[in-house]
Amino acid sequence: MKQTLIVFVQDEPGVLNRVASMIRRRNFNIVSIVAGRTEQKKITRMTLVLNEPDRTKQKQVVSNLKALIDVYDVVDVTEVKCHIREYALVKICVNKTYLDDLKLLFLEGHCRVLDQDEDAMLIELSGNESNVGSAIDILNKHDVLELMRSGKMAMVSGNSDQNKPKLVKSDPNWATQRLLESY
Amino acid sequence: MSKLKNNILLSGAEIIWECLIKEGVDTVFGYPGGAILPAYDALNNYSDKIHHVLVRHEQGATHMADGYARVSGKVGVAIATSGPGAANMVTGIATAMMDSSPIVCITGQVPSAAIGSDAFQEMDISGAVIPVTKHSYLVMNTRDIAKTIKEAFAVARSGRPGPVLVDIPKDIQSQIIEFKYPEGPVRVPGLPLKKFPEISDLKNAVKLIMESKKPIILAGHGILISGASKEVTELAELVNIPIGWTLLGSGAIPSSHPLNMGMMGMHGEFSVNNAIQEADLLIACGMRFDDRVTGNAATYSPNSKKIHIEIDPSEINKNIKVDLSIIGDLKTVLKQLNPMLTKKAETNWIDTLITWQKQSSQRDIINLKTKTLYAAQAIHDIWAETNGDAIVVSDVGQHQMLEAQYYKHDEPNTLLTSGGLGTMGFSLPAAIGASFFRKDKSIWVIVGDGSIQMTITELATAVQENTNINIAIINNGYLGMVRQWQQLFYDERYKETPISSPDYVKLSEAYGLKGLRVKKRSEIAPAIKLAESINGPVLIEFIVEQHDMVYPMVATGADLNDMISRPVNDQFQESEI
Repeated sequence: MKQTLIVFVQDEPGVLNRVASMIRRRNFNIVSIVAGRTEQKKITRMTLVLNEPDRTKQKQVVSNLKALIDVYDVVDVTEVKCHIREYALVKICVNKTYLDDLKLLFLEGHCRVLDQDEDAMLIELSGNESNVGSAIDILNKHDVLELMRSGKMAMVSGNSDQNKPKLVKSDPNWATQRLLESY
Repeated sequence: MSKLKNNILLSGAEIIWECLIKEGVDTVFGYPGGAILPAYDALNNYSDKIHHVLVRHEQGATHMADGYARVSGKVGVAIATSGPGAANMVTGIATAMMDSSPIVCITGQVPSAAIGSDAFQEMDISGAVIPVTKHSYLVMNTRDIAKTIKEAFAVARSGRPGPVLVDIPKDIQSQIIEFKYPEGPVRVPGLPLKKFPEISDLKNAVKLIMESKKPIILAGHGILISGASKEVTELAELVNIPIGWTLLGSGAIPSSHPLNMGMMGMHGEFSVNNAIQEADLLIACGMRFDDRVTGNAATYSPNSKKIHIEIDPSEINKNIKVDLSIIGDLKTVLKQLNPMLTKKAETNWIDTLITWQKQSSQRDIINLKTKTLYAAQAIHDIWAETNGDAIVVSDVGQHQMLEAQYYKHDEPNTLLTSGGLGTMGFSLPAAIGASFFRKDKSIWVIVGDGSIQMTITELATAVQENTNINIAIINNGYLGMVRQWQQLFYDERYKETPISSPDYVKLSEAYGLKGLRVKKRSEIAPAIKLAESINGPVLIEFIVEQHDMVYPMVATGADLNDMISRPVNDQFQESEI
């Protein structure tokens, strides 16, 4: 089963590197990673999808992420009601024979034409994994010239406190008794 | 420069030293070079407050800082230049990471404008050490130096300690600014590790402990880091629980304590491993179920409930699934847990362990008559002649395991060794580092002929600093532990494990320290007495039986109590020396 995490990090150079490096080092597999700005300055939000079926290991990767100094908090939304969306750009050859297929896609509302000339049509797809996936399946039957699919972005439904991240800086400076005594 | 100091105008380089002094640093280990030159130039003004130890290789600097940190509990500091200097530190940083040792490494970097241009001696060290540090910094503004160094120390020593690297470009060191030390606590996004345990967890632990008939405490390095020796001993005495320890937990509980049964794991005591397999309760204190202590994880202690008291939540269920985890500082946890327990005085289980202990000791090399000197005998005699009171720094290999078996430590933090990473070459520099804090005790390096040759350059550092250490080289002419595996698992094909050595006595002379050679058991005591009487470094080479192995042993993948023990006819083996 896939694991979906929302990771809140400090907007510092190299932070994506640190997150990706930890995931690779601990032998987890990244399905997708998307990072971007948020409503708060200096906080970057990532949606991380991992291919990790083992629940124990899923918990571990959360602890490992939380141990990174740049990470404010991690919310595991794998079993939480949330919206997970993705995006794709597809360029196809223009051919009147499949206009019917395209009409169907437009009707479903996950598809938009961005650009069109005599040879090619540039189509934007957005929606959840199966929306985008099935649209791509339909387009794939025809002459796809280029295709780029994004990673996933997640946001929890509602406004419950349970899944809200802790976005405060804190003092890491509690040390064990021995370290305190040595000074 | 001093004129400027009155106006509190300081260069970035001076700010580095000011900040180190604020952190209580009085000794640093380092090696100068182009990109760190401003810092070394500024050190001229701080020589009265900071003693700089010139190492011979930057790996040595990190091990020295590590050794210093392990004996003192303070943060060790290592300094190097950019590129190759910084790259040489990586092994030492990884060693500190695996063994949770707090060190701060400060490296010079090429001027900020040249970063990314493949400038001379440029290397992205802050990026390279991401997987082997708690955190790393690249400081791109002189104004950020003080804040960053303060944060680096806080991160290194907080919670579960570890290494931090601060990379500072040359121009950032040279720039002069108005200096104001950042007061107040450090704040970082990273969530601090929990210090106090959940009461419900403690209650569950009490229930498990009071119900158990065959419990055993697994004592790890966390006891030393937390300073919880007293509390763990209390727990053991209160409920009469035997204790087995990990390699890095050596000395956490006095060896002479009647409940201390010895080391666990691959080369541990059979009685301890058997007890773990037969136990109905494991109480793991500050240890992480490393593969070297569990043997086959699938068959590890199959019938026991397991309590894991640990500071780092990511260690829970990582290697071994546990029934109850208590997250928090071990000392804090036990201070709350111990008063909740009631006294128990059953001795059946302890008696069983003692019976197993007696059975397995019959094959001990110490009790056999041998024609040649055995490594175990040499290490046993070092223990006897130093009254078990030395700080021992062991390296990696057969001698490391024999040290753990035969040098009985009664005090915490008296064995330093690279347990997690298993870094050959750790011992000599780590001992030099330790010597700057522990001047009250004699310090013994126990090292193999393979390991010593990895960092033997640091003999020059020991001589230059007149470091009061004794170096015992256990020379069997082989990379002994690798040879042991070739003998057992690769049909005795000893490929590339015979290793030559220089004449260590002549080499000592060349470096300017006293060198001795011991070939017979009767020569050991006088050599040790002589070494102890000399102020400054002394090297003793012990020529030992070449083909001996470390017994007992759990083969990789075998069950923990399925141990290979010493063959009984071993004493008749002819030596080739």
